Amino acid sequence: MAVRSAEGELQSAQPAGEARPILEMVGVTKRFPGVLALDRVNFSVRRGEIHSLIGQNGAGKSTLMHVLSGIYPANEGQILIDGQPVTITHPREALRLGIGTVYQELSLLPRLSVADNVFLGREPGNGFVINEAAVLSQAAEVLAQLGVRNIDVKARVADLPLAQQQLVEIAKVLSHQPRILVLDEPTASLAEEETVHLFDILKGLKAHGIAIIFISHRFKEIIQHCDRGTILRNGKLVKTIELSGVTENELAEIMIGQQVESFFRHDGQGEPKAGDQILEVSHLSVGQRVKDVSFVLRRGEIVGITGLLGAGQNELVRALFGIQENVTGTIRRNGQVLAIRSPGDAIQHGICLLTENRKFEGLVLDMSVKENVTLPSLSMFRRAPVFIDNAGEERATDGFVRRLNIIVRSVRSKVRTLSGGNQQKTILARWLLRNLDILIFIEPTRGIDVGAKADIYQYLDRLAQEGKSIVVVSPELLEILGVSDRILVMYHGRLTRVFEKGAADEEALLSAVQGGSQHGG
Amino acid sequence: MVDRASQPTALGEPEARRRLGASISGLLSDYSTVAVVIAVVAFFGLSSQFFLSPDNIANILRQMAIVGVLAAGMTMVVLIGGIDLSVGSVVLVSGAITGTLILNYEFNAWPAIAVGLLVAMAVGLLNGILIEKAQISPVIVTLGTLIAVRGAGQAILWINNSWVWVTDDLFVYVAKEKVLFLPIIAALMFVLYIISAVVLKQTAFGRYVYAIGGNQRAAQLAGLPVTRIKIIAYVLSGLFAGIAGLLMAARLGVVGPSVGLGMEFDAITAVVLGGTRLSGGAGRVERSLLGTAILVMVINYLTIRGIPDIWQTSVTGFLILGAILLERAARRG
Repeated sequence: MAVRSAEGELQSAQPAGEARPILEMVGVTKRFPGVLALDRVNFSVRRGEIHSLIGQNGAGKSTLMHVLSGIYPANEGQILIDGQPVTITHPREALRLGIGTVYQELSLLPRLSVADNVFLGREPGNGFVINEAAVLSQAAEVLAQLGVRNIDVKARVADLPLAQQQLVEIAKVLSHQPRILVLDEPTASLAEEETVHLFDILKGLKAHGIAIIFISHRFKEIIQHCDRGTILRNGKLVKTIELSGVTENELAEIMIGQQVESFFRHDGQGEPKAGDQILEVSHLSVGQRVKDVSFVLRRGEIVGITGLLGAGQNELVRALFGIQENVTGTIRRNGQVLAIRSPGDAIQHGICLLTENRKFEGLVLDMSVKENVTLPSLSMFRRAPVFIDNAGEERATDGFVRRLNIIVRSVRSKVRTLSGGNQQKTILARWLLRNLDILIFIEPTRGIDVGAKADIYQYLDRLAQEGKSIVVVSPELLEILGVSDRILVMYHGRLTRVFEKGAADEEALLSAVQGGSQHGG
Repeated sequence: MVDRASQPTALGEPEARRRLGASISGLLSDYSTVAVVIAVVAFFGLSSQFFLSPDNIANILRQMAIVGVLAAGMTMVVLIGGIDLSVGSVVLVSGAITGTLILNYEFNAWPAIAVGLLVAMAVGLLNGILIEKAQISPVIVTLGTLIAVRGAGQAILWINNSWVWVTDDLFVYVAKEKVLFLPIIAALMFVLYIISAVVLKQTAFGRYVYAIGGNQRAAQLAGLPVTRIKIIAYVLSGLFAGIAGLLMAARLGVVGPSVGLGMEFDAITAVVLGGTRLSGGAGRVERSLLGTAILVMVINYLTIRGIPDIWQTSVTGFLILGAILLERAARRG
């Protein structure tokens, strides 16, 4: 089988003399409105291998696995199992074909016991009465096959630590006796020794001939434990490689590619900006997710915060906006301690947050652009005695439409009809109108096309020049490198590295994100 | 991306034509409820000589007043994504309290009315607090208050052997007189609708109501006082139900234990017939007036065609199902 890789060269995806792979995905294309998530991707997995899917966020890893497990249909392409073409339109079909998936978010019912969870929906019995004894003994058997002996099958799932819940989830999927096991970032929430234990278990499964597809961002464990890796970039296949002997740096280079960050702002122009300290965060913790983080934010600077999935960076900034529980520590503005318990409090103190989840946490899709922009600022548009000054609203919104280059038919168009980039600019306009001076962005360009991305980067830069303080949280290292004056790196809830201006490059940052020690910065 | 090509800021010639087409189809779907009302009037008017007689029209308007006022309050609660099942019981309790205060405690009409309406708002406040602060589902909470408030209303009526006669001049005047050609109680309903429509369309409160119903999480993150606005919506629903109770007392001249029984469903039916989305965030209060008109005209028509009362509840139920199916079909098509 000949495959065209992203570089355009022809390469053989399958060494000669190998048995037919158990799974082949050929030319898989998936489009979402405005986004080409997968572009003719070829992917194949052999029996008894651990195969890692590698790529940055948004590279298409999860989309590819969702196509495989029947969550969304592909627009084009074919899936073959044991060389037989199959169509998978529902997760149940995938399971029947022997494809078991353990998702990032666990799907266990926390109030049920381990055993009940494992056999949920197909409890042994006569079809009417559940045979409780059989449920318990069979669940114990499945766990024993996994090599797990320290989990009580009668325990409530909610009472187990996360690592054990993960194992129960795997046991549940394994009880369907899959031949292909997909694990989507199973180690994101695990500690190091738990990760080692998980891989011991996976190697046992591999010995039984099960093909394992493993998604992770941690290069160390990928190289240590996986046999082959397939690298995706921007929805395209880069290549499939043997992982033995590959270094983390080589892997990083393949993953990032030769992309030039030409549309990022160019540093060094203009005067040094870092001004007075405006926000001081000290000893901030959020439950177990964020541990004792301290940093300062200065006027006119852009601070990038990055880390692996679940390293605590999102919780950290959500705490600053008052939407995170169990927050301890202090936040000071100009020396004064702030009590931020709700978005209302945060806005009062000049802080706003634009989350990565624009549709659920940002916009009211059925309202117009104008109404979305003025939502928190209606007190600025009063007309006696109690009415809204519609004309004033439209004038103000029109101004932002022009300034931010929002492409929209009219400010009265529903925000639902806008593209992702223009929706993001609409939320940005909302907070600029409110005239807050600390703007926090989580993944500001997620799902946004290149043109609008460049607009947003440019605008971030301009805002910083105007004296606003900006925090950008993103797992995309290039984005962080491109926009930030300073970069904070989080690992397992702690702030582990700070790169001052100009001190970071891709490799140093990648190593820091992976929990690497103080070299190369 | 596509938007650069297909959404120019300036309108070209074909673009303008497309927009005209879009606005016509938008207009049609906007006025689909109006079209249904016209069709219903035409069909009923042609098939029954009595239906469009001035007396029957006045009768329909009077019948509409009570359900209509309930539906206006219900619309606000539905718009924030809630529901209020207690309104039928509030109709009873406001009439019972006001009537009893006038009859047994020699209150003047206005203070008695004020107390009746305050109690109605208190029920709404209780609903709102239990739903928003204690985080109990609106169906459960308002089902609870439906039963509790009806019980309380009946207990109050017990003082007068379960029937309070409302013979105060003000009430008689409201029930009997007309302004121009409109019965006063219908005129009051129209006034309440105009106020509600203006509040929802032209004030910050109205904007917040739509924002919360459309996307509560986003409204919260925009720093809106979500809990307060939602509680106010329930208080308003209580107030409107209280007003409906007083109009009902005036119209019947008596408050009995079964007053308002099941009227919450008439109100919900009217709201749904008007096309307000039950999950919140979309709909218009003036359309609930049209929904009320359809509901009342159908019931009225069945009555003048001699179909027994017994069947009318069933018809109401099927109307609500039909309206939901129509709404879904309209959204898909």
